[in-house]
Formats: sequence, C-alpha cells, structure tokens
Amino acid sequence: MSVLKLHPEKCTGCLRCELACSYMQTGEYQPAKSVIRVSPFEGHTSYAPYTCPQCAEGWCMTACPVGAITINAVGAKDVLDDKCVGCKLCTIACPYGTMFYDPATRKAFKCNLCGGAPACAEACPTAAITYEDVATADWLGDFAVERTARVLAEAR
Amino acid sequence: MTPATSTAPAKPTTKSAATARPGGYAGNLLRVDLTRRTCRAEPWSPETMRELIGGVGLGAMILYRETATRDGKGNVSWDHPDNRLVLATGPLAGLPVWGTGGLTVCTIGAGTNGPTSTQANGFFGTNLKYCGYDAIIVQGQSKDWLYLYINDDVVELRDARSLVGLDTWETQGALYKETGLAGHQLSVYSIGPAGENLVRFAAIQGDYGHVASKNGCGAVMGKKRLKAVAIVKGTKSLRAADPRGVVQAADEIAHDLRTDASARSLYEYGTLPGVVNLSKMGALPIKNYTTNLTSNVAGADLSVWEAPKLRENFDHRGHQCNACGMHHCHMSVIRHGDQKGKIVDEPEYEGWSGCGWAIGAADRDSVAWLNTECDRACVDVNEWGWLCGWVMECQEKGYITREQLGFELKWGDVKGAHRLLQMVSRREGFGNVLAEGVKRAAEKLGGPAKECAIYIEKGATPRGHDHRSRWEEMLDTCTSSTATMETGNPVHPTEIGQPARINPFDGEQVAKYVAGLRGRRSFEDSLGICIFTSRTRLEHVCRALSAATGWAFTVDEALRFGKRTAVINRATALRCGHTGAMEYPSTRYGSTPVDGPAKGQAIRAQWEKMLDTWYSEVGFDRKTGKPLPKTLKDLGLDWLSKSLWGNKA
Ligand code: SF4
Ligand code: SF4
Ligand code: SF4
Repeated sequence: MSVLKLHPEKCTGCLRCELACSYMQTGEYQPAKSVIRVSPFEGHTSYAPYTCPQCAEGWCMTACPVGAITINAVGAKDVLDDKCVGCKLCTIACPYGTMFYDPATRKAFKCNLCGGAPACAEACPTAAITYEDVATADWLGDFAVERTARVLAEAR
Repeated sequence: MTPATSTAPAKPTTKSAATARPGGYAGNLLRVDLTRRTCRAEPWSPETMRELIGGVGLGAMILYRETATRDGKGNVSWDHPDNRLVLATGPLAGLPVWGTGGLTVCTIGAGTNGPTSTQANGFFGTNLKYCGYDAIIVQGQSKDWLYLYINDDVVELRDARSLVGLDTWETQGALYKETGLAGHQLSVYSIGPAGENLVRFAAIQGDYGHVASKNGCGAVMGKKRLKAVAIVKGTKSLRAADPRGVVQAADEIAHDLRTDASARSLYEYGTLPGVVNLSKMGALPIKNYTTNLTSNVAGADLSVWEAPKLRENFDHRGHQCNACGMHHCHMSVIRHGDQKGKIVDEPEYEGWSGCGWAIGAADRDSVAWLNTECDRACVDVNEWGWLCGWVMECQEKGYITREQLGFELKWGDVKGAHRLLQMVSRREGFGNVLAEGVKRAAEKLGGPAKECAIYIEKGATPRGHDHRSRWEEMLDTCTSSTATMETGNPVHPTEIGQPARINPFDGEQVAKYVAGLRGRRSFEDSLGICIFTSRTRLEHVCRALSAATGWAFTVDEALRFGKRTAVINRATALRCGHTGAMEYPSTRYGSTPVDGPAKGQAIRAQWEKMLDTWYSEVGFDRKTGKPLPKTLKDLGLDWLSKSLWGNKA
C-alpha cells in the first residue's frame, strides 16, 4: 500500500506541486485546477501542502447519493465523471476540504493519486511530498498520534 | 500619449492574432493610464511575441517607441507623465521551470535618466499571467495615491491614501488584510517611503524580499503616485506547445544546477558563498573601497562568514519563488542581539556587502536587519552601501561635519546607518542631499569628498562588488545603457565560443570578453526566469522556451535577440542624452587597490584602450556612441539606422 506523505516542515511554498497536479489532471497549468493546495501560515513565513489523505472512513464516498465515488486500483477514492451528477454533497461531507467542484464541467474532482505516479511528489524539489509504502493507509491518523504525543510531552 | 516615432515599427498591438497564440503566453498586455484612470487589455500578436519575447525585449521596444518627446527629437525625462513603467514577465513565467515568477522593470529611471532593465522574482509573473496578462504598461501620472488591483478581468485603480507612509512589508500586510488573502494568493510589489519621496535610487520591492532595485525605478513609481501593484493568483490557464518538453527541459536545467560545479554552491546556498569567495579575489568591497583586507573591519572574523555558518546563524526556512528548487531565498529569524526575534529576508551577497562590508560592519545579525530595513524602505542596497560608506569615510576625514549630518556616523555603526536610512528615505535634513544618490550628492559637495565617491558618470552606481579586481564588470557597468551590468558574468562561456578563462587584468582580453559575451543576459531577462535558475547551458534555456512556445529557438538566435535588445536600449539612451563621455568610473571607483589580492592593478591606465576595443568589437561608433549602420543591419534593425544616422545610413 502506498500513500502520499506530506512533510510540511520541508515545504518552501514554491507551488510547483500545484502546477504539476493541474497539468496532470487537466493538461493545463493553472493552480486553481489542482487538487493539492499549498497554504500560507504565520502570515507569509511558512507554507504547507495539503491534499486528500485518502482517509479510511471515505466520507465523500459514503455521502455520494449516486455511487459516483469508487476506490481505484492504487487505493485512491476516485470520482467517476459519467456518474457524478454535480450535487456537491461530497464536498460538504469531506472533513479535510479536499473534494472540489468544477463549475465548468459540473463535476466533483479530487486527488486520484495520478493512478499510482503522483505528479506532485515527482515535482516537489524539496521532498516535502513523498509517495511511500506504508503498513497502514491511515498516515494521517499516525501523524496525529505522533504529534499529539509530542505536543503533550513538550507541554509537560 | 506620446506618438510613435516615424521610424519605429508598427505598434505590436494592432495586428490581429491571425496565427494561434504561442504556448506560454497569456495573450494580453495591460495598459494602465494613471492620468485618465483607465485600465485596458491590449491583445498582442504572435508575430510580436516572437520578435520581442517579453521582459526587457518587450520593455526596451516600448520605451523606444513611446518615450520620445512629442517633437520626436529627444526623450522624456524620468519624472514626465509620458514616461512608461513597464512591468513585464515572459513566456516561461508560470510554467514549472525553476524560478519562473519573473518580473522585469523597464522605465526611464531616476538614476541615469535613461533606460532601465532590472529584475525581481517572487510570484509577480505567475500571478499576472494566471490573470491573463503578460505585462503591465503604466503611463501618466495620478494626483492622488493609487494602487493597482488585478484579479482576472477585474482591474481597478484603488485609493491608496491609507497606505502612504507604510514600508513595503507593511503595505503587503495591509493589502492582505484588505483583500482577505495571504501568502502567494496575492503578489504585491510596492514602494516604501523612499519611493514616495522620490529618492533617486528607490527600488520596487515585492513578496517579502524580492527587489527590482536599479536606476530609481521606485522613484518613477512614486512620481506616478502608484503605491503598489497587487495581483491575485488568477484562474486562467496557461498552455505549453509541448508540455512534456517543458518538464524535460526543466528537469535538465534542475539537474545541471544541482550537479554542475559552477552552479552547485548557488543551488545549495544561493549567493551566500560570495562573501568569502570574493574576499579572496579582492572583489569584496570593504569600507568604501579604502581597503581589501577584511581584517581592517573591526570585529570581523571571516570564518563565521562561510555560507553554512551564515545561514545557520539564523532560524530559517525556504521561501522560494515560483516552482524554484534552489536553496536560495530564505526567511530568517534573528536569534541574537538587539533585533532578536525579528523576521528578515535572508540577505543576498549584495545585502551582506552593501549593509555590511562596504560600511565596515561585520555583525551578521545587525547587517541582516539593516538589509531588510533597506528593502522595507525600498532603497537599492548597492547604492545604499556606496552612499553610507561614503558618508562614513567623509566624516572620518572631516569632509562632512557632524553639524552637517546632525550626528556622528562611524564605520560599522549599523544603528547610525539605520538612522541615516530614515533620513534619506524621508529626505530629512542632510538626507535630502543624499537622497539624490551618490553622484549628485558628491558633485554637490565637490572637492575631496567627491574624490571618494563610488559612481559611474552616467549617474548610476555599481553592483555590490569591488570592480577594481573584476574589470569585466566595471567595463560592463560603465558601457551599459540600462544603468547596471548589461552583459553579466560569464555562464558556460565556451558554449558560445568564448574562452573559459581570461587574464582578468589584461584590458584587451577583458574588453573582448565583455563584448563577446553580449546577448545572453538580455535574452534571459526576456523570459520571466530568474538569472540564478538560468545559470545552465543556454541550450537548455532555449529548449525550455521552444517547448513552451512551439518556436524552434536556437542559441544563435538567442544571442542575436539579446544583442538586438541591447542596441534598442542604447538607441533610447542616446536619445536621453547619454554620451560616450559618461562611460567612465568616478575617481574612487576607477582607482587602484592599495592592498589585498588585487593590490596595484590599475584599471584606469588601460581604460581608454579597453573602451576602444569594446567599441570596435560590438560595432559601435566610438565618437558618438551610436551602433554603426552595419551593426544595425546585421541585427535586422535597419529601421533604426534612419533615426540614428539620418541620411548617411
Ligand atoms: S497525487 Fe496526483 S492528483 Fe493527487 S494531489 Fe498529487 S498530483 Fe494531484
Ligand atoms: S512543490 Fe513541495 S516545496 Fe513546493 S509548494 Fe509543493 S510541497 Fe511545497
Ligand atoms: S534562485 Fe532564488 S530568486 Fe531565483 S527563483 Fe529561486 S528562490 Fe527565487
């Protein structure tokens, strides 16, 4: 099982991942069309990339009334364009804000792990995004556990 | 608006887009008239794109065509409403090639009152192109302070009265607040107090630490009463003719930057290694060119100036420009001293020299702080170093008295330098004289004070090196039409038939080299790419351009294009009244080092000869400074012959 791991401390905010993603997903260079988003923190001094963590619960999938979201061959939740009716329920259901809606096509869209060759990880010059084999797909859960333990230890 | 001169080619904007738009282009120029308060998108044709590319290629032509006086005989001066401020990007901006957020500023600048080409990075070019524009042409003059807001098709001149007096970082913060955006969602290029007060070496600063610094372009913006340009990361897509080819060329370039010996340290540490490396050649300017020994700076310990130590002295984090993978730009937090806890932009080599060595200061924390203060005030850090160092030397020698200045300013006094910076950027007291820049201030004082000032007779000042041991750069700086080095240092010179190395103190070889390297820099500065990320084989850069646009662009064509651009800038410079007699270093600038590695090397003794050689190599007339008719013809610029040479052509 491979997942996209994000290492926010390495990110320089160069936005190359957004460009690569938009190109891979739409054939054009336009960050607004990418499904990985780099957000500024602390005003402007640090940046972190964020995309669908392919969460174990699959909230988007559960919410979709027409069954347009499936799990593709590499384990990513994927929107089937011919089934999606553009109701946006998935965008509301997703707790991570990583399900998007394209008014031009009237379809939902999200990270599909580029079918197993993530363009963002390839494009990132600092390895702030890596595509790694892991024991459990729930890297976000692992990250949360590790971080909580660290923050608690520091607070002590 | 100034009418086009009869000899210039037709306006690029009138031809219809008969052929498809080349990849990499947004397709429109944005014309902003501050007098009339109008903003208008002008489509430009594929033929013109191919001819002028963008950046300085486009900017030089706009200046030539649009800044002549109405009678067509002279040129408008920097503070005239008809002056243009061209903020141009290029076809590579916004594509995934490293370092492609590029901005080139072209204008008639306040320093030389002649053409300018000065670059900055960040996200200007990216955001602008995603909004649908390749360049902004600002003309006219406003009565009230305005800022330009661009969000796709929404282009507005907005009230900037509440921003007046804010420094450049504060301005960006205020505009974040006003728009509810943050980080690269909004690229802001603005002027601080120095630009508002028309300081002759005011810069345009953007995206926290990127500076288009040369020739007082910030004063031009101030004169037009344009406080800032704020560009939302737009939503329009860019195409490439061969997208896979763009990625391949980008990978090739990245590989070269990571592994090539000549680029590797730049890749790892940006320009930080410059301090130690240049000190070994005698090219680190120390105390206003009075010495070349770092030991003459009180408290200086060169070992802590090695690049890794310089970077690690601060808490730091990468702060790269669009798609850039260099470990170059960083945000740093000062860890020790009076300014502990302050966020600064990691200084470039030129910041360490202008705010440090040139003024005899070697405390890294306070130098880094002063450097960001210069950016915030929007003062060119190079000219700042020459100005502040000069004042320090003049005080030491009694040429500028304590009463004149209002306080005592000794070598290495960073706090005092900061006080001077405030006086200059607000034109307070003696700061008003100094705000005119090194040359004009020195001429005003005259006598022995003038003898110690570092400047070029055209009115500009050099970049942050001691050019008395980098003769190519002095010659390039003095002969340039754009107020700063026009040819630049050699990058893989053998690729274009130039020697890998020359004797740096042989004037003849130096002049031939500077002439032989011409073209590359002006080409690069037309693409919307950073000079550091284009420090690879020119062939790779051409490949990236070809893949983006669909043109088959060769190295020869690139050089020819660059030379042509430089000649167009020269034609404008001549119209501005620049002459060959101005192509001389000031007394101190052209003096002979008294110590250090280049001790005794006297450039002035060879200067005339160097000019002779350079002129004959580039094909310009030594007497008038004009490009010869044959040179014009070879470059496909016959149309310029008539206006430069009249009937003789
Ligand atoms: S894996 Fe592909 S689709 Fe997902 S964020 Fe990265 S580039 Fe975009
Ligand atoms: S490519 Fe990497 S470093 Fe650049 S913004 Fe994306 S995650 Fe950050
Ligand atoms: S090398 Fe530096 S200035 Fe150039 S693009 Fe990269 S981060 Fe920006």
